[in-house]
Amino acid sequence: MAIRDMNDLVQSGLDRSIELMTVAAHNSFRFNNKNTVKIVSLGKEEIASIGEFCYSLADMSPLAARDGRFVMELIKEPCGLLLLGDKRKSDFNYNCGACGYKTCAELNKAEVVESLTAWGPSCQFKNININIATNAAASMAWKLGLHCRVFSTLGMGAFALKMIEDVDLIVSVSVSAAKSDPYFDRHKYWTKEHWDETFQKEFPTFTRGFIGAVEDEGTFKI
Amino acid sequence: MSIEKSMKQFEQDRLEAVRIASRLLLASGTTTPRVGGVGECTIHIIDDPCAIEDLCLGMESMSRENKAWDFFKRDAAMLRDADAVLVVTSLRCVNDPADINCNMCGKMTCESLRETERLPDDADVAFKGPLCIFRANNISYAIDGIISQARNLGIDYGVFWSVGAAAMRMKILPHATGFALAVAVSITEKSPFRDIPLKYGEINEHTMNDRIIKRLWPQFRSIYS
Repeated sequence: MAIRDMNDLVQSGLDRSIELMTVAAHNSFRFNNKNTVKIVSLGKEEIASIGEFCYSLADMSPLAARDGRFVMELIKEPCGLLLLGDKRKSDFNYNCGACGYKTCAELNKAEVVESLTAWGPSCQFKNININIATNAAASMAWKLGLHCRVFSTLGMGAFALKMIEDVDLIVSVSVSAAKSDPYFDRHKYWTKEHWDETFQKEFPTFTRGFIGAVEDEGTFKI
Repeated sequence: MSIEKSMKQFEQDRLEAVRIASRLLLASGTTTPRVGGVGECTIHIIDDPCAIEDLCLGMESMSRENKAWDFFKRDAAMLRDADAVLVVTSLRCVNDPADINCNMCGKMTCESLRETERLPDDADVAFKGPLCIFRANNISYAIDGIISQARNLGIDYGVFWSVGAAAMRMKILPHATGFALAVAVSITEKSPFRDIPLKYGEINEHTMNDRIIKRLWPQFRSIYS
């Protein structure tokens, strides 16, 4: 029997795992048995382009920038990204009101609002179906021992870059077979200078003596 | 041990299994991911048969309020056979949008969602939207966490939005609840949530027993006494 290299085994196992996650998501519970969720998996090249796009949004969204920067580190080790998307209009006829319209027909007639992140207004139950499938994929990843995190930011980046055709909403599930969990406790990105600057800006009251102290040096003083 | 006593013991143990399992389902649903990383979902276990019956009556009442909700009667018939119900809420989707301007609700900014007038408190409105869809989506994760654990434990389950809507209307959920779904569970030999005949709201085990067995029995007793 041939000897197979560990890296080859890990990559091969990761590829198979992503297929199994897709099956779990595809077969998960759906309201009204409407299985309209579209699923694609991306390679490192596409993941990198989403990361670059998210990082380019730094001025608008620090969260997208954080995840974009993180992706560039993530792709240095075996990883994958599953995208799950669907259309925004309702085919349920539940007339539940959650979308803000009394009937599904009114929602479906409403003018579409286009943006980089998603097109709205969207049916709440379409969203629920996508996200149940997302959790089923993440749950399978957990059972298979993969590192995993659900990312709205990368999903929205994929939406802007039209990584799935003909959908209005996208959520993403990122998985990794890195040597240690890359998704949580990401302390290595915080240099002392970056921490001091950001923390001071975002949480000024934490180190302030009392609430009447200086709000912002040079602009507002009591 | 007599047959009767052992059967009663089985029934007691079955109900104890429901009690334990529903709490394990709650644990799984609670620890699932939350977009935004903020706690917003609560899970409420209803395992008292009288409380479940109240929910069924609430659902049947709602089925008359909106033509699209006719299937609530079928859901109520299924729920009557459930041993427990887990109602999952979203507490931030009305008053605390995620502030990420995702546009899923159709408003370019969360600020404009805050300023949008909600649907009125009419009988034919289940959820007073527009809601912050990004927030309410967290319910999906909790629901699938419950489903995932139910499958692990080999427990039959059914997912119902009618139950969540009725529980909200009955005001038995936290006051900030804007959206709610429910998972009913059953520990019985035949799942009450699958293989459901048409017209189940009218023709089900309870009505069949009432219309046939209970009607036949007095005749039998009268004739053969």
